[in-house]
Amino acid sequence: MTRFKKSGRQILITLADYEEAVLESMVEQLIGLLEGDGVRASSDDPFAQWEADMAEPGGLDTSDPVIARLFPPAYRDDPPAEQEFRRFTETAQRRTRIEQAHVVLNGLLETNAGRDPAIVRNIDVEAWLKTIAAIRLSLSVRLGIETADDIEHLENLDDNEPRAVLYNMYEWLGYFLEGLLDKVG
Amino acid sequence: MPSMAFASAQPAVPEGGTVLAERPYEASIEMITWVTIVWDDPVNLMSYVTHVFMTYFHYSKSKATKLMLQVHNEGKSVVSSGTREAMETDVNAMHAYGLWASLERAE
Repeated sequence: MTRFKKSGRQILITLADYEEAVLESMVEQLIGLLEGDGVRASSDDPFAQWEADMAEPGGLDTSDPVIARLFPPAYRDDPPAEQEFRRFTETAQRRTRIEQAHVVLNGLLETNAGRDPAIVRNIDVEAWLKTIAAIRLSLSVRLGIETADDIEHLENLDDNEPRAVLYNMYEWLGYFLEGLLDKVG
Repeated sequence: MPSMAFASAQPAVPEGGTVLAERPYEASIEMITWVTIVWDDPVNLMSYVTHVFMTYFHYSKSKATKLMLQVHNEGKSVVSSGTREAMETDVNAMHAYGLWASLERAE
């Protein structure tokens, strides 16, 4: 059972081995989704970074409903403005999210498969929150959650249904976020 | 300028109406206020949305909670207003948190 504890300027999260494994795999999937076939984490070489910024962003499959949910339109009724907005924000947005997911992934890897608590430093709190929230949003799209009624339906699923497993993970991530927020606030 | 010698022999008669100086178009554009709107979704937790409003906008807990409840109960809430550029920054930040946000001209 996951436990959260505040310790000075950091939060310690104790995870069971299977919880750590599942979370690790979900974070890796998120990174794969965000990387598509193009954007990687920041480069140390400023020129390479600039080149990457200028390159046409490729590989983000906007027909994937998960991507569509993670990158919603900023302009709802103005396609040219929306296109312009995307052009200027998408690559940096993707890169930042990938970097934040790596912060979480590294934190999980340092637990030695859940033997030690994951350490969330003060400056990493937002990276953890955003990454967990993004994974939870991804699951919600795969589960088809669009209204509160959809959630009610999922709560009544038979445990043998494949979607029930996914829904349990979704619920656990909600519990995880609440636990973390409780120690932040 | 053409030579006045070829101008109409008729004396010039002023026509009705007043000539308007050109309006400073750029200035009027800057006056337009834009707003950032956060839309309700059934996934993001209430505590999380409140946290985002407090952390990003530095709103008090009571103001952040009020806005969060407005999103939840009314389907949307205006969370910030300002120039178009500033609102694009805010919307981008809301997206980074996974919130469903957009910008539009203030009514």
